[in-house]
Formats: sequence, structure tokens, C-alpha cells
Amino acid sequence: MTDVHNQLKEVSKFLSDYSTCLMAVGVQTSRIVRNTSRIARTYGLTVEMTVLLKTIVMTVWDSEHTHSYSAVGQVKPKGLNFEMNARLSQLSWECQDKQLSLDELQLKYETIVSKPRVSKWIVLILVSFANAAFCYLFQGDSISMIIVFFATLDGFCIRQTLMERGWNHFAIYIISAFVASIIGSTGYVFGWGKTPDMALGTSVLYLVPGVPLINGVMDIIDGHVLAGTSRLINAALLIICIAMGLSATLFVIGIETL
Amino acid sequence: MISLQLVIEVIGDGFFAAIAAIGFAIISNPPRKALFISAFLAAVGHGLRYFLMHAPYIEWNIISSSFFAALSIGLLALPFAKAIRCPAEVFSFPSLLPMIPGMFAYKAVQALAKFIVCTGYEESMIYIETFFRNGITALFVLFALVVGVSISIFLFPKLAFSSTR
Repeated sequence: MTDVHNQLKEVSKFLSDYSTCLMAVGVQTSRIVRNTSRIARTYGLTVEMTVLLKTIVMTVWDSEHTHSYSAVGQVKPKGLNFEMNARLSQLSWECQDKQLSLDELQLKYETIVSKPRVSKWIVLILVSFANAAFCYLFQGDSISMIIVFFATLDGFCIRQTLMERGWNHFAIYIISAFVASIIGSTGYVFGWGKTPDMALGTSVLYLVPGVPLINGVMDIIDGHVLAGTSRLINAALLIICIAMGLSATLFVIGIETL
Repeated sequence: MISLQLVIEVIGDGFFAAIAAIGFAIISNPPRKALFISAFLAAVGHGLRYFLMHAPYIEWNIISSSFFAALSIGLLALPFAKAIRCPAEVFSFPSLLPMIPGMFAYKAVQALAKFIVCTGYEESMIYIETFFRNGITALFVLFALVVGVSISIFLFPKLAFSSTR
């Protein structure tokens, strides 16, 4: 009796950590449910869960459906991380195929979670090049691309710095959209290049929350409507913030429409 | 029929889409191998979309072109997922990022803001039209992208779900 209960308790604690971590790094809901149930199945248990944007509620049952343990896990903000998504998904299969003990599993989980991210300077440079390339895709000329490169460099640098200081997300988005578009508007102000509208328009596109948008629609299609809608609403709020930052620039520069 | 000019444009489009995909993918810290695959898939997908939108006698709209581009990305992602033991979305999502209708989305929001402050009837009708045109295009392109990329999962569920094994 106590044995069963202790096992349920230990597994629930791990699964709660595991699933909230997956949610924090931006994994689609159906994959979270699949991976978590796979690990539970390894120990002869079943898990039922409700996934929300900020909390995950789960109940773990033993095989006879006589004992259960419930856990509510808070999702701590972590930032998107696809490497963790891939490694943690592999871990769930490894656990099933090699019948890992809970201690081994915990140890492997800790090593995956503590892996450092890509250097922020590399990210900064690559994002700037990416947004400049994006300007080309919108038929911007080479001068506009250079303007967008520097706009993104400044805007993203400010975003990274403010994120480290733990500012409010919406404030960060408004400020970095404003800074990036102010620099993007230099094409208008000084008459550089033939496509200043594209330079201004694409200078803020690096902020668009693409992965939450895709995940949200994916969740809705998979039937996790509540989780999907909350992701989409979150992303929509960020897009409104981008529009606010950009509109502030248009107001300052005195351009009517983009 | 298909001019050299178009071929060069499609290749250029694919090349810059690949750079864009690498940059937007690196924000979400992907595995090193997946980064190059997502660049390749983005080049194929975005190039195909450009071709479908601009080739003579095809000239589809942005929504159906995006759908087929996403479909090709989803199908190509599966064998790669199996090969490097990663979930397919680790590189199919970043390769969709250059096609995310971000500009339509924020233009819709701006049109809404302008509608509130403007006074004349004619003017407000223009802003309402802009809002709906941009907003609905953004929504439909987004759904087309996601449905297109997930069709491969419905076609080959076993391969898709066990790729990380």
C-alpha cells in the first residue's frame, strides 16, 4: 500500500516537472501528452492530464485503478528551446525501450535541462542577417536590406538586454519594435534606396511570434482548443504590441500610411 | 514557357528564405543538425511558393500557394526526422517561419487603430476593408501553413510519432 503510494508520488513529481518543462520550451500539446503518458506506461501507470498555458494538472493512476496521485505543476517561463524538445522526446522513448529506473531518468533529465543555449551574440548576428534576407523576400533593394540589418541589430540587442533584466514582455515588444522601426525609417527621412516602405515594414518582423502561432493552430487542430486558443491570444497580444511600436514611429516621423 | 528569369528569381527567393529560416530558427535554440535541414526545407518551400504565385498560367493566390509549400515541407521533413532522430517539428516549424504572415497581421491591427480615430464615412470604410483583407489573409495563410505541414502526420502517423525512437 505505502509502496504503491510512494511510487506514484515519485513518478508524479517527475512527470509534473517533465511536462511543465516541455510546455515552457514550446512543444505542441499533443506531443506533451504523448511523451508523458509514454513514460508513465513504462512504470505500469496511466496518466490523465489537462494542459493549460501556465499550469498542467495531472492525475497518475496505478495499473488496477485503485490508487492515484494528483499534481498541479506551474509552467515557469524559459524561452523557446527546440533542442530540449528533441532531447526530451528522445528521453521518453529511451525510457520505454531501456526500462530506465526513475533515478536514471531523473539524472538524464537534469543533464538535458542544464545544457546551455547558443551564444547570444551568434543569435544576434544571425537574426539580423535573417531579417535583412526577409527584406529581400518582400522585394526590398540592397540599401533597404542594409537598413533592415542595422535596425534588427539594435532592436534585437535591446530585446535581449531587457529580457535579461526581466522586464514585462509586452513593454519589451513595444520598445524594441519602436527602436527597430525608428532606424528602419531612416530610408524615408534621408531618402535612401528605392523601397523605404519595405525597409520600414520589415524592420519589425523579427519580433513576430511565429512558433506560438504555429503551435496554437496545431493545438486547435489536434483538439486541445483551450491551450491552442490561449497560445494564439498571447501571440496576438504581442503582434498588437509590435503594431503599437511601429505606429509610434509613424507618428514621430509623420508618415500617414505604410 | 518558364523563362530563365523566373528560374533565377525562384532560386534567389529560396536562397534568401534559407538565410531567414536559419536566423529565425536560432532564436528557439534548435539542435545543430536540424538548423541546416530547416534552411534546406525553407528554401524548397518558399521557392515553391514563389513559383506557384508568379509562374505564368499558374499565378495562384498566397493562401493556396502557402498550403502546397507547407505540404512539401511536411512531407520532406519526415525522412529527415527519421534520419537524425528528432521530432519533425524541430525543423519543419522553423522552415515555416519565413512564410508566417506577420506583416498582414500588424497591418490589420494598424488599420483597426486608424478606423477608431478617423471620422469620415468613406475613410472609415477604407480602413475596415484594409482590416478585413489583411486580417483574414493572415488567418487563412496561418491555417493553410499548419494544415499543410500536418497532413504528412495524418498520412504517416506511425513514422511521425516514432521518429525520435
